[in-house]
Amino acid sequence: MNKHLRRLAVLALTTWAMPALAADQVTLTFWHNHPEWKDRVQAILDKFEAENPGIHIQLDEIPGPDYTPKMNTALTAGEAPDIIELQPGPQMRAAEESGYVLDLTGKVDLSALTPSALDAAQIDGKVYGVPVFGEYTVGLYYNKDIFAANSLSPPKTSDELMKLCGVLKAKGIAPMIAPSQDGVIPAFLYMLSASSILGPEGLNAVRKGERKLTDPDLVVAAKFLQDLYPCFEEGALGTPYVEGKALFALGKGAMMEGGSADYAGFTQTNPKINLGVVPFPAVPGGKGSTVTGMEGAFAVNSQSKGQDAAITFLNWMLTAAPAQMIADTITLTTNKNVSPAHNEVMKEMVEASKVNDVRVFYEFPEVGDIYATAGTNSQPLFLKEMSPEDFAAALQATVKPGTK
Amino acid sequence: MRDNANRSGSMPSTAPHPPGATGHLLPQAGEGRARRLQSNTRPWPGRRRRAAGLTQRYGHLWFVLPGLIMFLTFIVYPMASAVWLSFFDWKGIGKNFNFVGLANFHQALSSPGFYRAAENNLVFFIAILIFQHTIGLLIAVQLNARPRFMQVYRTILFLPTILSLIATGFIWTLILSPNIGLLNPLLRQIGLGFLARSWLSDTTFALPAVILVQAWNLLGWSIIIYLSGLQNIPQELRQAAEIDGATTWQTFWRVVFPLLSPSFTSLTVLTFIQIFRVFDVVYVLTGPMGAPAGRTDVLGTLVYRTAFGVGGMSSNDARMSYAIAMSVLIFLIMGAVSVLLITLLRKREVEA
Repeated sequence: MNKHLRRLAVLALTTWAMPALAADQVTLTFWHNHPEWKDRVQAILDKFEAENPGIHIQLDEIPGPDYTPKMNTALTAGEAPDIIELQPGPQMRAAEESGYVLDLTGKVDLSALTPSALDAAQIDGKVYGVPVFGEYTVGLYYNKDIFAANSLSPPKTSDELMKLCGVLKAKGIAPMIAPSQDGVIPAFLYMLSASSILGPEGLNAVRKGERKLTDPDLVVAAKFLQDLYPCFEEGALGTPYVEGKALFALGKGAMMEGGSADYAGFTQTNPKINLGVVPFPAVPGGKGSTVTGMEGAFAVNSQSKGQDAAITFLNWMLTAAPAQMIADTITLTTNKNVSPAHNEVMKEMVEASKVNDVRVFYEFPEVGDIYATAGTNSQPLFLKEMSPEDFAAALQATVKPGTK
Repeated sequence: MRDNANRSGSMPSTAPHPPGATGHLLPQAGEGRARRLQSNTRPWPGRRRRAAGLTQRYGHLWFVLPGLIMFLTFIVYPMASAVWLSFFDWKGIGKNFNFVGLANFHQALSSPGFYRAAENNLVFFIAILIFQHTIGLLIAVQLNARPRFMQVYRTILFLPTILSLIATGFIWTLILSPNIGLLNPLLRQIGLGFLARSWLSDTTFALPAVILVQAWNLLGWSIIIYLSGLQNIPQELRQAAEIDGATTWQTFWRVVFPLLSPSFTSLTVLTFIQIFRVFDVVYVLTGPMGAPAGRTDVLGTLVYRTAFGVGGMSSNDARMSYAIAMSVLIFLIMGAVSVLLITLLRKREVEA
């Protein structure tokens, strides 16, 4: 009995003393939404910890679809991590207005950011969150092996894509992998298709209310989505995004809409995959297009006890070394001085984005709801239960010119 | 009234109580005993005397207190604050709170999406109910005949029920998948290839597929509830029926089944509650939007989607207060229907 008590006492003492011993070590909690990058992100964090011995960052990767509900709940409950990843734009503004995040204006060095990243980092001239984990550009991936085996070349226009679709289907190959269960891919397909016609200026005109998604030349974008549906893989409507990515990585389809950020996941699933990337084909009246968004903006929890350490971390992330690791192993970087060294697909993506690149709609308050509404209404559109005109009208109804 | 008067001292504390005054404070049945207590304690000053009486009367309530505090903190308080939140336009993040009265309720009740989801829940409920009262009952009757290895069968049949639907639902998505699934190749192997299809993307078959997975999961419940009901039926009643010349069929329908009515009641009400708050199986199998094109959208997924927004990329469209208003509505409707079901089904119950 006595022996047990003594053991218990020793145990209690050590547990109590442990944190005290490590008092000079700051631990920061960090939630991130890409489990498929875990090793690559951890490699960056390891490098940071090696250079900053006093700071330990505890990474928790949460699957994309669960991330936002979990983060919003944690923010409201006051249980959010020290480093908070949110989407720039409306989401960051809401967090800032509620006092959840620290004002970083003047505390972080933004001089190396690309113009779009710099724009995304600021709200009314103030800085609350910085896009330090890269950005993604979305275009059209194609499986080079499948294309070579059938002597095909990647499509430049929607007409070419539809022809290609017929050829591939005749050979029993799924032309497009487009998992539509959760609405993510269909919403991106719509943004790409609409961006083909709009371009960056057109999107600004929609934001100001000078142009409408229901304009006949823009309804074409919705119509193309409907036409494209028969090219999707079998069971696309019931396939979740993550499963679709795995199917494409395993060579179960010839093409997939995808971002620079998806490439790491594809190679994680199948290191031998041989991919190329081109702009999304031009729809009638438009140009080939890509859309670009930030891989989140990273803010510091206003209730964090390690605020200085978190700011140190963000500043370190803004330097060239981690940006190079991101460019080489994960996605495009937001650092204008860094380009992918030996990642051919990333270089192709950079090329693709030079044609007609538009920022993702949900980073802007006026058009922020188009994304979700496109996702929700895409399946009725595919099944022709909703006309392209009604689809466009439903999206236009969410546009609020003049909102902040 | 009397309490206040005593505390302020405006009435002499020793003043005789009007006859029957204690009846206000004490249950009618205990009045006699209360008077006796009062007469015993007459020499004490009024307040202490009554306090002692109360302690003796209500002392046991202290034992309820810990549970009551838990109940109030973790059940009543969250529910009350949910009802309170449903009168605002809160998005779930941020500090924008505007009182909107009953607007959320009005919008829910006039939204086609709400009725479509409720209708899917109803179809879901009826299908599960039929499944449980036929297949579940049949298996329970077979098990009640105590075949060899009955324990083994019972364990195997109950296994799906104790497994999480999140885990088993994921396995079912793999079975049903048209790309990597097991079911379609199996159908082709046994010459039923014409039945193979994209189960979870098919506008006709997606809901039945989801229902089947839920039915498989809940089968164990119906078997256990019916089995316990069957084991409570006295053997003499069956024997008496047999002596009177009833066939096995007649014995079952005229004697056994009526005596199972308490099981029928509890199973029906439990299933109703379970199915009208179903979420996990749909979320895992057909996603937050109830693919394809909302054919499997239920109230649970609708509320989730409304509360947190669609698609992982942004929560711009999240409307927490509206979602809570829907939940409150569902709660009220489910409560009313459950009470109605219990009242109706109790009437036809028979005592063994």
